[in-house]
Amino acid sequence: MSTLLAESVTIRFGGLTAVDDATIEVPDGGFIGLIGPNGAGKTTLFNAIGGFITPTRGRVLFQEREITSMPASARARLGIGRTFQKLELFGRMSVFDNLMVAAESAESRLDIVSDILSLPRRHSEEARCARIANEMLEMLGLEWARERRAADLPVGHARILELGRALCTKPTLMLLDEPSSGLDSDETKAFGQLLRRVNEEMGIAILLVEHDMDLVMDVCKMLYVLDFGRSIAQGTPNEIVKDPAVRAAYLGEEDNETAAAPAER
Amino acid sequence: MQIFIRTLILGIASGSIYALASTGLVLTYKTSGVLNFGYGALALFTTYIHWSLAVGAGLPVWLSALIVVGVIAPILGVFLDRQLFRPLEGQPQIISVIATVGLFVLFRGVVDLIWHGETKSVPSLFPPGVVHLPGGTVIGKDQLGVLIVAVVAALGLGAMLRYTKIGIAFRAVVSNRPVAGLMGINTGYVSGLAWALGTSFAALMGILLTPSLLLDPNYLPPFIIAFVLGAAVVGYLRSLPLAYAGGIFIGVAQAIFIQYIRSQGFLGRISDSLPFIMIAVAVVFAPRALRQSGIGASFIVRTREIGQRASKETRGLVAVLFFGFLALVPILFSGSWTAAIYNGFVYAIIFISLVILTGYSGQISFGQTAFMGIAAFSTAHLVQGAHLPMWIALVLGALAAVPAGNLIGFIAVRVHGLYLALMTLAFAFMADSLFFQNPTISGGEGGIPLKRPAGFHGPTSLYYLGFLLLIVFVIIGLNLRTGRTGRVLAAMRDSETASRSLGIPVTKYKVLIFGLSAFIAGIGGVMLSFVLEQAGNRSFIPFLSLIYVAVAVLGGIFSVGGAIVGGLLYGIYNQLAGYRLLSWLPRYQLILFGLGATLALVQNPEGMFGELRRAGAAIARAFDRGARRRPREATPIPVAGGQE
Repeated sequence: MSTLLAESVTIRFGGLTAVDDATIEVPDGGFIGLIGPNGAGKTTLFNAIGGFITPTRGRVLFQEREITSMPASARARLGIGRTFQKLELFGRMSVFDNLMVAAESAESRLDIVSDILSLPRRHSEEARCARIANEMLEMLGLEWARERRAADLPVGHARILELGRALCTKPTLMLLDEPSSGLDSDETKAFGQLLRRVNEEMGIAILLVEHDMDLVMDVCKMLYVLDFGRSIAQGTPNEIVKDPAVRAAYLGEEDNETAAAPAER
Repeated sequence: MQIFIRTLILGIASGSIYALASTGLVLTYKTSGVLNFGYGALALFTTYIHWSLAVGAGLPVWLSALIVVGVIAPILGVFLDRQLFRPLEGQPQIISVIATVGLFVLFRGVVDLIWHGETKSVPSLFPPGVVHLPGGTVIGKDQLGVLIVAVVAALGLGAMLRYTKIGIAFRAVVSNRPVAGLMGINTGYVSGLAWALGTSFAALMGILLTPSLLLDPNYLPPFIIAFVLGAAVVGYLRSLPLAYAGGIFIGVAQAIFIQYIRSQGFLGRISDSLPFIMIAVAVVFAPRALRQSGIGASFIVRTREIGQRASKETRGLVAVLFFGFLALVPILFSGSWTAAIYNGFVYAIIFISLVILTGYSGQISFGQTAFMGIAAFSTAHLVQGAHLPMWIALVLGALAAVPAGNLIGFIAVRVHGLYLALMTLAFAFMADSLFFQNPTISGGEGGIPLKRPAGFHGPTSLYYLGFLLLIVFVIIGLNLRTGRTGRVLAAMRDSETASRSLGIPVTKYKVLIFGLSAFIAGIGGVMLSFVLEQAGNRSFIPFLSLIYVAVAVLGGIFSVGGAIVGGLLYGIYNQLAGYRLLSWLPRYQLILFGLGATLALVQNPEGMFGELRRAGAAIARAFDRGARRRPREATPIPVAGGQE
């Protein structure tokens, strides 16, 4: 059974076909990478899976349930967590509260009355969610930053926090959009370690869109390669490295600025 | 046919004034990033100067107009740009919007102070008499003159933008300010010039309009804001030609309305709110990118370190002492103080309704008077007509405001920042002109009687009623912030995208929070009506919405404490004038509040409450110096947003 299946997805913007009949499958507990040169349509496809774009054709299934035109917040409630290429932390809230919001969103229902009246129910729910948030804080190694404003965190820690925030919603699938941007190589490595733990220890399936080939090769069990909106190859990292179509897409044209992408860190 | 042509020319004449002013507004907005809600007050102020020169000092009308439009207004514009808006650069748009509201209040206050707010009649620039146009149409010379001046000014502006070097710089900044800056254009100089031009056009508008409209401080500024903004949104605040066309359109539509739909009833009132209907339609149908452009509506505040706060125990003690003191006021002080502080309680509750919107959620409302009015008139009718007991009517009346709040909340899902501010202002004006000005709803001049609840007729018992309700809403406000809802609101304020990705139903929360805000404002509206024991439309004029925002910002828009400080200040302000040393206060009321709000935004966005808290924390530290601050005990639930 697959956690996620994006089937024959085509996305057009006016005359431009950004994604052309691409199919991607994330098996239960899988760790899938989605790579490709700049402009290959990775982010567009990713956004269709996350619910920020509706595909022109094709469908998206989550745990065999069609979610093609479901809004982003509803997908999140089904168990799809995500991070953003451009950090989207709750900047003025504390690190702890960032996690707390996420835990509460998944764990407790909207109940403004017990909030306003400060009913006992509210406090028991808060205590429960605070436990989840504290455990996450510990797992991320961010206890020292508990009361810091999220906006004051350095990028490396901010990326980790954003991942942890999504994890607090107890997702079965994590969508990660270029998590290594802004990180140096050590930070990227550490982030990769964390991702592996998320995948192996927590059993969460991951779909990773990434530029940093070292990271992708290191952590992903299976890769899909997009070029000009088409899926040109799929396989294990070792197979992909040897695939002639992939080599052509990345290295074929010297004048293409993306030629440098695989070497880029 | 002749009537139609005449109507058309009249419409184009007044339309070209609106067009000119809205072009000036858009020009300033595009070059300096500030949408000036104080535009009408600038027009008012400069036109009063014109009146003083022409009528008071006896200068020739033309010379006086030339001095005001050509010298005084531009200097004023440059001054405002340099002193106020340049320092606010880089802050979220909503900050400068509120600063212009402060400006509005400030200049309205200056007019009250210097000219005692008296209505003046301004002489026309043009000779009396009529002109016979070919085809038999007759038109007044003054109307023709207005048309010529407005068109010449527009052509002059157009030529400047098109042919001069500075004009090209202007257009570059209008189309893309950061890039223009990178290309070596002095954007500061350009925005200063735009402010000079914009203020000149505001003055010109006032001078051309007032001979036929009267110079009335209560009427003119809202009128101008309405027509100028209505025209400007036609081009979505970015296109100068469209803003001009929008002005002409409004002028013609208004003239046709007046000429052909004379009815005094509902249709007549629609004509008054025409510009606001245009704003509402334009905003709702605006392209997505524009509507959401104010997405950074949340305030970026230089929040101080958490360590600067006094300990929880100290804060609790201060609160207990403060409320304990308030509980003793009717015993210790005279009746007039009791009444004044009751007013303070009412305003504090109204400001709490703004705090949960703006401070907690990063939303904005310039329409609280609409919610207050809906609740007050509903309550009054329920008591008068349905003979419901006061208590039930009070709650039902406030609940009647909730759907209106929900509606605005629903709109706020689609519309952000500046456009939301426009939308709520339009809502307040529409509620006023369509319903509150309707005598069957509001009882006309005398209002509708609204007796105090049984047992609370005396000033002391009314005081305790207000005190009790304030405590209720303070607790609600505090619980709201520290609880799950408060965290969700703060999360939505900081990033709606991320909130959605966590499964937070953003729409539901916005609808909810605007509904709650409307309810609280509604309670405030009814309580305000208890003072005079009548619900009257003078208590809910839209202008007051702007003052409320200004005073709430001055007190502190981020916290319930700020709402209490602002509310009490506003409530007891005139009472303070009873002391001989402070007898000058009432005359400066609007000036102080307007200036205070704008200064607060520049200096300390947390307002007076922020200052008080900082001082209080310093004192507390001085007391327990030596006693090391314990590490913040492991309370599982720290406050949201990292600020009080």
